[in-house]
Amino acid sequence: MKVQCELCPKICLIAPGQSGECRVRVNIDGVLRTVVYGYPCSIHIDPIEKKPLFHFLPGSKILSVATVGCNLHCKNCQNWEISQANPEESQAFACPPQELVKLTNQNHCPSLAYTYTDPIVYYEYTYDTAKLARQADIRNVLVTAGYINEEPWKQLLKYVDAANIDLKGITDDFYRRVCSGTLKPVQNALVLAKGSGILVEVTNLIIPTLNDKPEQIGRLVRWIKANMGSDTPLHFSGFYPRYKMQHLPPTSQKTLELARQIGMGEGLEYVYIGNLFSKEGENTYCPSCKSLLIERVGYSILKNRLKDGNCPDCGKEINGVWK
Amino acid sequence: MTRRKFIKKLINTGVMVMAGAWCLAKKTIPRKFIRAVKSDSFPGSLKPLRDIKCESKWSG
Repeated sequence: MKVQCELCPKICLIAPGQSGECRVRVNIDGVLRTVVYGYPCSIHIDPIEKKPLFHFLPGSKILSVATVGCNLHCKNCQNWEISQANPEESQAFACPPQELVKLTNQNHCPSLAYTYTDPIVYYEYTYDTAKLARQADIRNVLVTAGYINEEPWKQLLKYVDAANIDLKGITDDFYRRVCSGTLKPVQNALVLAKGSGILVEVTNLIIPTLNDKPEQIGRLVRWIKANMGSDTPLHFSGFYPRYKMQHLPPTSQKTLELARQIGMGEGLEYVYIGNLFSKEGENTYCPSCKSLLIERVGYSILKNRLKDGNCPDCGKEINGVWK
Repeated sequence: MTRRKFIKKLINTGVMVMAGAWCLAKKTIPRKFIRAVKSDSFPGSLKPLRDIKCESKWSG
């Protein structure tokens, strides 16, 4: 008997013995099973700035976990060795949710990130771990492409404290051609996440020739401002030739700086540059009085002048979770 | 057209309209999400947990 997976907009109809597009949700004897539950392929302690999250417990360490699999197949994927891997051919640790929470506590990490591939495809593992982590006063962070249906997304958001969600492009054509997905569900996920009250930061990877035109960037920025608010932190991230896009050059410094200028010119308050060194593009400035609030180099915090989440000079409240 | 043919055509059209409406309704009704069941074992190979304190090479 075939089973239908209702987790993501692909709603895969899965024949017995087969998996959905994500490779990790399998029809075994007519039952939909997740074969990666409790079996992460990667566990590391990272700086939170690496996610990237710049407005959530800056300078803290975060236990970061992933299983293999992804429901998108981006041709530029930086982590394709794990995101596009078959579970049968991969190696994993045995680490049930309780163990993951224990590891987070043992290593004095205030938060736990479900990241690297996409926590959507290991939904049940993410959900159960997040629920346990919440009980143990550990914050939950998702790093995701946001390609998920509304009902499971709303259920998961109840246990999430912050998320960095990719908005990979602003046209459906881009999502179809580059990511094998569609735009609308991602936009819905972004709006729902923001509406749920969690901290949401957005990442846009700029790929030369595909989504680097100023008008495309302007459109993306205007959509974020109109639908998520001007206080939504946005990260423009630099592309490096990987996976099926090795023929394209890396994103230039100039393009990223221009994207940042467009973002700020359109009225977004916190626009950052990632994957490339930028003198000002990694810092947080007060949107009101323009004074430097958090100075960063790479994943390091050089200076943090925030006073209880407010600008020390003009008192403006800065969107974020600061303690 | 005979009365019999007309009624047949009317019924066929009615059935097609109903089927179309059913398909549309099925697409618009929110789908009930059912969790996947945890698998008994991992289909790949297992490895021991190594040092997790080093920063990951993966993006994100």
